[in-house]
Amino acid sequence: MANEPVGVLIVGAGASGAAFAWRIADMGLRVLCLEQGPWVKQSDYPSNNIDWESRGMGPFATSPNIRKLPADYPVNEQDSAISPLMFNAVGGSTILWAAHFPRFTPRDFRVKSDDGVADDWPIDYQTLEPYFAINDRMMGVSGLPGDPAYPYHEPPMPPLPLGKSGNVVAAGFQKLGWHWWPSDSAVTSREYEGRAPCINLGSCISGCAQGAKASTDITYWPAALRKGVEIRTGCRVREVTVRPDGMADGVLYYDEEGALQEQKAEIVVLACNGIGTPRLLLNSKSPQHPDGLANSSGLVGKNLMFHPYAAILGIFDEPLGGRRGPTGCSLWSHQFYETDRSRGFVRGYSFEAVRGFAPAQTSLWGMARGFVPWGEGHHQGFARIYDRTTGLLAITEDLPEEANTVTLDPELTDSHGIPAPKVNYRLSENSQKMLAHAVERAKEALTAAGAVETLAEPLMSAAGWHLMGTARMGKDPKTSVVNEWGRAHDARNLFIIDGSIFVTAGGVNPTSTIQALALYVADSIKKNIETLFD
Amino acid sequence: MTETPAPLRDSAFVQALFDVVIPPSDDGKLPGAGSLGLASTLAAQLEADPVFGPPVQAGLQAVYNAALARDPAGFAALPPQARVEVVESQLGAHPMLMIGLTLHLYPAYYQHPRVLEGLGEPPRPPFPEGYDLEPTDPHLLEHLRTQPRT
Ligand SMILES: Cc1cc2nc3c(=O)[nH]c(=O)nc-3n(C[C@H](O)[C@H](O)[C@H](O)COP(=O)(O)OP(=O)(O)OC[C@H]3O[C@@H](n4cnc5c(N)ncnc54)[C@H](O)[C@@H]3O)c2cc1C
Repeated sequence: MANEPVGVLIVGAGASGAAFAWRIADMGLRVLCLEQGPWVKQSDYPSNNIDWESRGMGPFATSPNIRKLPADYPVNEQDSAISPLMFNAVGGSTILWAAHFPRFTPRDFRVKSDDGVADDWPIDYQTLEPYFAINDRMMGVSGLPGDPAYPYHEPPMPPLPLGKSGNVVAAGFQKLGWHWWPSDSAVTSREYEGRAPCINLGSCISGCAQGAKASTDITYWPAALRKGVEIRTGCRVREVTVRPDGMADGVLYYDEEGALQEQKAEIVVLACNGIGTPRLLLNSKSPQHPDGLANSSGLVGKNLMFHPYAAILGIFDEPLGGRRGPTGCSLWSHQFYETDRSRGFVRGYSFEAVRGFAPAQTSLWGMARGFVPWGEGHHQGFARIYDRTTGLLAITEDLPEEANTVTLDPELTDSHGIPAPKVNYRLSENSQKMLAHAVERAKEALTAAGAVETLAEPLMSAAGWHLMGTARMGKDPKTSVVNEWGRAHDARNLFIIDGSIFVTAGGVNPTSTIQALALYVADSIKKNIETLFD
Repeated sequence: MTETPAPLRDSAFVQALFDVVIPPSDDGKLPGAGSLGLASTLAAQLEADPVFGPPVQAGLQAVYNAALARDPAGFAALPPQARVEVVESQLGAHPMLMIGLTLHLYPAYYQHPRVLEGLGEPPRPPFPEGYDLEPTDPHLLEHLRTQPRT
């Protein structure tokens, strides 16, 4: 089948691809998005079923290596201290995300100037500020204005209720005089543009059947489709093709039936996330780009950053509301966010309060921790922890290191025979010190909140939710892959808009910033269209 | 199609063994795992589990045989303490048995409507009814309102 050439071709329909598609749609060019996954129906989400906890560990598991759905590609994570997690569908990883929605802070963009580490971004918070606001409106963000950790901004909806566990944890922070604030959350606290308010299903990370959580299949995509953007699902891009002059020409992809198709485009935009994008670039070798597309700097796939996470849990003597409520959206703290060299590490971390466990998860966690034995004592053990736990996640700032990489696995392939990514990731000493510090501080906060016992997982290995840095932006083509508005230095009509282009990782969840960047890149293309191909 | 392993087809064995793993609660609110009809679910799950399936099945067979050796009427005919002893006697040779079994049995048990009811949880999926959440403590918000703006 011959595919009509398009003006803008986006690969990946997740958080960034959706935002970009909506923003670029009014430019007057034909816009097409190719997505390897399907549309997911809200009626298929686990929370429609009584065994929702088990379903969340199977077809809606956060690791593609566990799910193994047709849309998934395997990731070799054997040499990585942290497992990369994602979802492949329209909406991308926002299908499963927790929707905790902090922005990067102004200082996150200038860590070299402030702290002498890593690098400054070629753009700043002020550049992105209008896009943060547009994105908050499009995603539907609930929050309380006035957090002193941030420049003043007003989320479009009032904050979500903290719930019992949030109230208890907040009181602990308050007692210690530590910063805390109700999280900005991409979850509706009231009816919002056709979306119903959150009803506290507690199943956010296996999809929101209520549609209160902002996955981009229900936020940006309907708006983008109304503007005429076309999306083709079940289409896995194998490589970006190039013209004799080295510019992007389009892509080769496998359609839903597995047939190889060619799609030409004037502008190619990659939005496959921090693992999928370097994989695609490295799979796009040509005589013009022998080391992979846009890789003259050699930095494609390098500087992979996750956020190393620690989980700290408190056991309390009172019921806390269990799992009910938006899983990861309650409150945050920036008490230890900025560099204080007396702590023995540079940069810092944020805390994100999470909720308790549902019954099955309580039993499994309790078994692993020795609280819930089989046989005699089972029910006493379970009762001690059920509905009695709540916790904090520490999200530490990962600094870029070239040795942390995404490369192509020499043997592993996906179902189409396309080489799969291999992740090599080692935890830095700085991160280790930061995690250790965070664990102690979190225990202090939970104890102040009334915990009778605290436990910690000092490094969560199954927590590679945030994928960043593998095609970093910068002004110098020798030390970066894309310029300050996402354009590949080596191919003027190729753009990258996902977390790959992050220079540093901040100490907060990245998606608000990823999407603000995607909107900003779209506007930069519009602004520069006259000279884009010169 | 693979056949359900012999021990899991013996409902008296399954009921007695599952009750050893999760007995009824003393207050009678929570049923024993044996009374919930979970055998076929568990058999299917173990069949599909390449890591724990084979060692659990081997362990179940060993418990089954050890009980028969002790009493020709089998595991279910043993008094409660003897059942525990038989299970424990096999754990040295089958260390994965209880880990693998509980990994499947605990979630099946704790998602059963009767167990949810016993825990005081509504025995239904979260959607569409959802749940109530305690509002934010107004005193906490009051404190935030006094924070300086940036
Ligand atoms: C369980 C979980 C919880 C999370 N919680 C939070 C949170 O609370 N807050 C937060 O800020 N972030 C969170 N995240 C991270 C957040 O989801 C990601 O940062 C965000 O979705 C990244 O957006 P993206 O557009 O870069 O990639 P994605 O959203 O991952 O989308 C990439 C898309 O590209 C497609 N694709 C990839 N390769 C190809 C190819 N070759 N051909 C065609 N299509 C392709 C994929 O199928 C996918 O749909 C969470 C993630 C997970 C998994």
